[in-house]
Amino acid sequence: MAYAINFNVMNPGRERSPVAPLADVAIGLTGVTKRYQRGKGLLTAVSEVTLSVPPGQVIGLLGPNGAGKTTTIKMICGLVLPTAGTITLNGYDVARQRAGAVRQIGAVLEGSRNVYWPLSAWQNLMYFGRLKGLRAVAIRPRAERLLTELGLWERRHESVGSFSRGMQQKVAIAAALITDPPVLLLDEPTIGLDVAAARTVKDWIARLAADEGKTVLLTTHQLGVAQELASRIAVIRDGKIIADLPTGELLSRYAEDRFEIRTRKIPNGLRPGVLPAGGRIEHGAEATRILLPGAGQADLYRVLDGLRAAGSQLISVSQARPGLEDIFLRLIRDGEEGPGAVRATAAERVA
Amino acid sequence: MTAITAPRPGAQGVLGPALRAVGTEAGKGLALMWRRRAITITGIALNGLLYLMIQFFIGGGHLVLPVLALTLPALIAYIVAATAALQGSGGIAEEVNAGTLEQVHLSPARPSLLAAGRLAALAAEGLIPAIVLALAFGLGYRPHWAISPDALVPLALTIADALGYGLLMTALTLRLASIGAVVHVFNMAVMFLGGLFVPITLFPHGIEIFARFVPTALGVEVLNTTLAGRGLAAAWADGTLPWLLAHVAVLAALGWLAYLHTLRRARREGGLSAR
Repeated sequence: MAYAINFNVMNPGRERSPVAPLADVAIGLTGVTKRYQRGKGLLTAVSEVTLSVPPGQVIGLLGPNGAGKTTTIKMICGLVLPTAGTITLNGYDVARQRAGAVRQIGAVLEGSRNVYWPLSAWQNLMYFGRLKGLRAVAIRPRAERLLTELGLWERRHESVGSFSRGMQQKVAIAAALITDPPVLLLDEPTIGLDVAAARTVKDWIARLAADEGKTVLLTTHQLGVAQELASRIAVIRDGKIIADLPTGELLSRYAEDRFEIRTRKIPNGLRPGVLPAGGRIEHGAEATRILLPGAGQADLYRVLDGLRAAGSQLISVSQARPGLEDIFLRLIRDGEEGPGAVRATAAERVA
Repeated sequence: MTAITAPRPGAQGVLGPALRAVGTEAGKGLALMWRRRAITITGIALNGLLYLMIQFFIGGGHLVLPVLALTLPALIAYIVAATAALQGSGGIAEEVNAGTLEQVHLSPARPSLLAAGRLAALAAEGLIPAIVLALAFGLGYRPHWAISPDALVPLALTIADALGYGLLMTALTLRLASIGAVVHVFNMAVMFLGGLFVPITLFPHGIEIFARFVPTALGVEVLNTTLAGRGLAAAWADGTLPWLLAHVAVLAALGWLAYLHTLRRARREGGLSAR
């Protein structure tokens, strides 16, 4: 979908050129650092973050609370000024070409209402569209389409404050999309939503990326959402990127065959040497679990033979592969594993 | 991916989008005011009743029309100033807490244009109740005013003074946690020292001098001079008009610069939202 943007009129004299810079990088961060003054000291919220997101990619930025995710997103939006480094949005320098840069983005920020609850959904969309420089005639059809697709059209004149949390979040997403920006920054877009509302939002994000080619930077604590939507995962801890890989690559790099055997009691115990390195036995009331991380087929057969010899009654044997949550927890626990270990090449990331 | 086409440079000019940005922000302010119109109407009624009761108290149970003629302009000025301060401060605090201030600043428009729009909404929000009360008391009691075009100058300056004060309080909201108490204290000062109950020319000399530094007080004094039929020349000659001009210039500039400075500082420190 094409729309016209007048690049200089809202911020005359600041922009370098009225022509939109064309870029291979939709979101580019180079050596971005943010330090806050806290009392007499400095708190480093984000440290030397370098990230390059190509157009059309959905990237999940994951990290524990206080890792620097929200600060990073706000710096990309230009709402927080970095202490050092440069940020570009489709070639626009956020610090020096703010007007051009903010036209590239729509943002739903975490912990915020994002829209005016006393106003109606329609008033909000018209307001945010105008605020971003569009005329009413251009906003109306888009607002109608967004509200219809999100199932809010019938209630468009009701105040957003009277909506359910899921509907309010949909209005926030619609407001972020009202100018059809090529880049979406979504900070915890499904937080606090029930299963159905979260599913709608997830489907929308997936559709925006797949059908409209939007670049999406997504932060979430719901790792299943990130695994489902993001083709690339970056993990941030203590303000530093400690992993940055395509999702599939990250999963396979940390993948290990993990067998789980459930048995009744093991009357005679397992012979020494049967359990492979890393294997462990957990005794429960109902059953005994034998966990074999990193075990191969030979290890599995040896343990099964050992169980038969010990007179144990087998309940089940299953194979599990670690999900993103397991990998995330391991990364967060183990910390930085060296850039070589967890960073992909640019070609891998684009792929 | 979305294709972005750049239009011919200068196709829309500079003024149109700038005015639209101001108008958009002002329109939002008015739409929000309309949503809380019950509060606005209650405020008009309470302010009117309070003013009337004090006037009766001062007049020993009677309404003294010459006093009403001198204090009614102060009521108008007080309402504009108090509304600008309360709604400006309360509005921006609510936006910080709700996170909408951040969304507003995702606009390509300059912060100064957004500030101008916010100010226009505050002006309208203050002027509507002020006009309602001025008409109610003006038509109800018909004070002896010599209404002339000269009165428009101090009226405009008084409104500018009130808005400068409101913008300063709005700016302080981004810095001070206890801004609610600060605004109430300053609003009380404007109410008591701005000539709302007793004209400031009747104050003891020391207090009169001090009162002239209070927002809107000088404006009300000049307005009273012109409404008494003495014209702007008299106000210029007694020094109140030049001092009013200086007061408005300083307060408006202070409010404007403080607001833009605190916004810049909030961006540096991540203070545009509560999180």
